[in-house]
Amino acid sequence: MSPALHADVWAAPLIVGTVLAVGAYLVAVLDAAATRVVAGTGLAPDVLIEPLRRAALLVVQQRVVTERPDAASWALAPAAYAGLAAAGLAVVPWSPSFSVADVDAGIVVWGTVESLAVVAVFLHGWSPNSHQPLMAAYRYVAVGLSCLLVSMFVLIAVALPAESLALNAIVDAQAGLWNVVRHPLGLPLFAVVALGITFWGPMDLADGADLSGGTSAEASGSQRLAWQGARAAMLVSFAALGSAAFLGGWHGPVLPGPVWMAAKTAALLALLVAAGHLVARVRAERFVTWCWTVLLPLAFLDLVVAGLGALP
Amino acid sequence: MSPADLPVGADVAFWVFALAAVATGYRVFRTDSMVRSAFLLLASFLNVGAILLLLSATYLGVALFFMMTVEMMVMAIFMVAFMMNSAGLNPMSMTHRSGRAAVVGWLAFAGGAAVALAGEFPDRPLPPGTDVIGTLGEELLGDSMLTFETAGVTLLATMIGAVVLSSRRSRFGDEAGDDASLPPTLDPETGEYPAGVIAERSGGHGGHGDHGGHG
Repeated sequence: MSPALHADVWAAPLIVGTVLAVGAYLVAVLDAAATRVVAGTGLAPDVLIEPLRRAALLVVQQRVVTERPDAASWALAPAAYAGLAAAGLAVVPWSPSFSVADVDAGIVVWGTVESLAVVAVFLHGWSPNSHQPLMAAYRYVAVGLSCLLVSMFVLIAVALPAESLALNAIVDAQAGLWNVVRHPLGLPLFAVVALGITFWGPMDLADGADLSGGTSAEASGSQRLAWQGARAAMLVSFAALGSAAFLGGWHGPVLPGPVWMAAKTAALLALLVAAGHLVARVRAERFVTWCWTVLLPLAFLDLVVAGLGALP
Repeated sequence: MSPADLPVGADVAFWVFALAAVATGYRVFRTDSMVRSAFLLLASFLNVGAILLLLSATYLGVALFFMMTVEMMVMAIFMVAFMMNSAGLNPMSMTHRSGRAAVVGWLAFAGGAAVALAGEFPDRPLPPGTDVIGTLGEELLGDSMLTFETAGVTLLATMIGAVVLSSRRSRFGDEAGDDASLPPTLDPETGEYPAGVIAERSGGHGGHGDHGGHG
């Protein structure tokens, strides 16, 4: 392999920030479009404007605070969550010679991103000192920790055929056969983990409407906007990792590698966003039971399949 | 090139992480909430992990990040669950027997400081091109495999045992419901519950004293 090209210290935040900002906007547009399609009201070009209008509204809205919150963690939670999304995206390779940060334990970095994301969401619900965000925070931790174990098996299964923890090598090993075919359980399990950790759609247990918005029930104004942006950014990062780990990353005919990566990431994003409108929300206790008794054994099976396939 | 590649940058980064690890570690006991305390301890561990990254131990550093994160998250939940402070936001002291603890703490600090000042540390920069993760894997799964596998299986058995013992459903079947998980009685002689406990929890059919004995 050619020597990896690194983004320098100044270009890295710019590249990652741009991709996440564009991606978060795309998520908002897809979400608005899916809402219209599912409701049957028909698509109109204003789905492109609607997210911007709502964002502008939040910027000018007055910020409401609760009684005696933990102000520092409340303010830091969206920043931490967005920072984790950025760290996760940074280790994802875009072409054989370019990833923003070429870390030789990239897949383990993702284990860290996922577990710290659970902490960030918990703090976002805990720090306002208000009961509904707090209940949502505990509920989310139960789901998030259950997802983490499944995620661990699935990510190890991805690293096995490549015999490397580096994401670059993992994409490289999919030149002949994508992981989605090689061990077909991986991508569906990863999608559940992604929805669970990013509390999106059917797995929206952290910010669900059943708890008046859950951890963001008390968030308002620019802080609410920051949280929603960070949330969409995390979904983008997960989609980028999913494309690299399961859909062959930069591999594809004719078009250059980064274009394939962007296309696959967008397709996966569309799938994840659509799930939010087509699948009913799960109940936390039922999901946790289901996760430990069904998903975890399936994840182990996925690991066995990947391991057998990797035998010489 | 990242700042850590420069010798001066690495030194500055080391001191920043080291001081932050000590400062957040100190705050663990000076803060007033269990949740804050748990996450300050996490912050301390994350800074130690960052120092491991500076030492080119990428895998160990990143593994420390995610293991400590999950551990501290679980610890925060359990501490709040077992203390009568449901949100963890109410102010409470994080110290017990502070006099003795201070003596022990200073002794431990003196011991650590003595090792740091008097010990001889290896000064061997990592040769370029070393496969750090591969070497670590050989170490864990080569000669030391028996040790690690024994520890791993023991931990797994402990975890399964803990889940079986604490699960509401698994010990006495589904139909036992809450009866299967009644707390031990306050009076071990008579096996009686304080007034109200039985009526609240199960509607008062017989045989609860027996279950309490298993706890």
